[in-house]
Amino acid sequence: MSHVYSDGTPYRYAALTDVNLEISEGKMTAIIGATGSGKSTLVQHLNALLLPNEGTVYILDRTITAGEDPKHLKSLRGSVGLVFQFPEYQLFEETVLKDVAFGPKNFGFSPEECEQKAKAALALTGIDPSYYERSPLELSGGQKRRVAIAGILAMDPSVLVLDEPTAGLDPAGTAEMMKLFHHLNHDLHKTVLIVTHDMEQVYAYCDDVVVMENGKARLHAAAREFFRDGATCTKMGILPPAIIHMKDLLKEKGFTVDDSVSTVEEMAACIAAQVKRRG
Amino acid sequence: MDPRAKIMAMLIMLVAIFFPSGWTGYAVIFCCVAGVILLAKLSFGFIWKAMRPMLFMLLFLLIVNMAVVNTGTVLFSIGTWHIYSDAIFQTLYIAVRLLLMIMITTVLTATTKPLDMTLGIEDLLKPFEKIHVPAHEIAMLISIALRFIPDLIEETQRIMKAQESRGVDLKEGKMKERIMAILSLIVPLFVSAFQRAEDLANAMEARGYAPGEKRTRYKVLKMTGRDWMLLAGASLVLIAMIWLAYGR
Repeated sequence: MSHVYSDGTPYRYAALTDVNLEISEGKMTAIIGATGSGKSTLVQHLNALLLPNEGTVYILDRTITAGEDPKHLKSLRGSVGLVFQFPEYQLFEETVLKDVAFGPKNFGFSPEECEQKAKAALALTGIDPSYYERSPLELSGGQKRRVAIAGILAMDPSVLVLDEPTAGLDPAGTAEMMKLFHHLNHDLHKTVLIVTHDMEQVYAYCDDVVVMENGKARLHAAAREFFRDGATCTKMGILPPAIIHMKDLLKEKGFTVDDSVSTVEEMAACIAAQVKRRG
Repeated sequence: MDPRAKIMAMLIMLVAIFFPSGWTGYAVIFCCVAGVILLAKLSFGFIWKAMRPMLFMLLFLLIVNMAVVNTGTVLFSIGTWHIYSDAIFQTLYIAVRLLLMIMITTVLTATTKPLDMTLGIEDLLKPFEKIHVPAHEIAMLISIALRFIPDLIEETQRIMKAQESRGVDLKEGKMKERIMAILSLIVPLFVSAFQRAEDLANAMEARGYAPGEKRTRYKVLKMTGRDWMLLAGASLVLIAMIWLAYGR
């Protein structure tokens, strides 16, 4: 499919051209690429915030074809949860609980059900009940973000799309966030798509990788394949995760590093074993 | 051209319109303004679009005048209700003045960059600083507001998308739902705008900005021959209108 912004005006900008992708259900897929490569545009087609100018989008049980005027997009929005970058800017309700319940409310659930869903979502994102009655605008940046994400999780979507969810977070916050997404994907079987620049996280958590460049999908592969060595990464103009870079350097210097080594501990053990052998 | 001259000329012309100089007077002004519009290469269609919202009001005015005005010659009667010629003339007077006002102000706004206009306003208001009119602050206010309009528009769209992703329907829904929908847009927008304002204020202060202090200008306004000619022309028109109204 393709997407063109402001077609027919002097500001015409082809954000996506001939993108042909099939994202697997139940997996955690990372969408990476330089700024302006079309990642955000691509991702907004998944819950029909944007409609394609050409081609077709197949999401869950819906088919959206270019040129048609689709009805009942609201139901799609409840099944495909899209979390924008810096989602803390969308908080507006009087209390944290009300804000998180806003999503389910829009889909017609009873007030009791909304509250239940909100509380469940807040528990998932690690927000303590003592915060439920506070104003969301009083919270710290990291807490606000978790509340915003809870707001989307409260709708219980089967697909979760996140646009740079760890942007601006410290390492501890990033780790917590990624653990949450892993839990949602691995244990709760949600399909998760993450747009990110953080290769370390992609390497550590994601099953598949999609590389976007200049509005085109250049590569769609399993993460293990993509990160086998630094070559594929660098060819795509992406800085490989530190551990891969390390692997390449060690191999250059004559060490043997097995492909299965993927954590710092395994790497240390591998190096130690070989250093001992050489005496 | 110097925006100060343009603003002053516009003000002079606006004052000129309000002298009862009769049809000759209005014809003169019309020709002058039309001449300027042609010189500025603006299209009359533009002016017409600005006029359109007024038409309804003028029609209403016509009806009111027809009911109320009792001077002039009777044009026709419906039973005991007479419609006088003056009703039509008075409405026409107002319509013509309105048209001229719109033409003059449109010429100004269509030919002047917003920031230049702000500079012009600041300079023209400077003499009023003696009676505590904060000319510089007003100009700064206007230029900052202008600068943030595109940013705020973008922010609004972003927030709309974020809330749409949570099931907000901005097009359909009951009254109460629509109000909640708009609230979910306005509150984040305000919060974000206030945050921006605070950040901007801090950034300006960190670079040494202090409203009361003397500052130099990047852009210096200079009056050229053309500017003086414009002012002279506008003043001539004003004098002509006063003569036509009272001098004969």
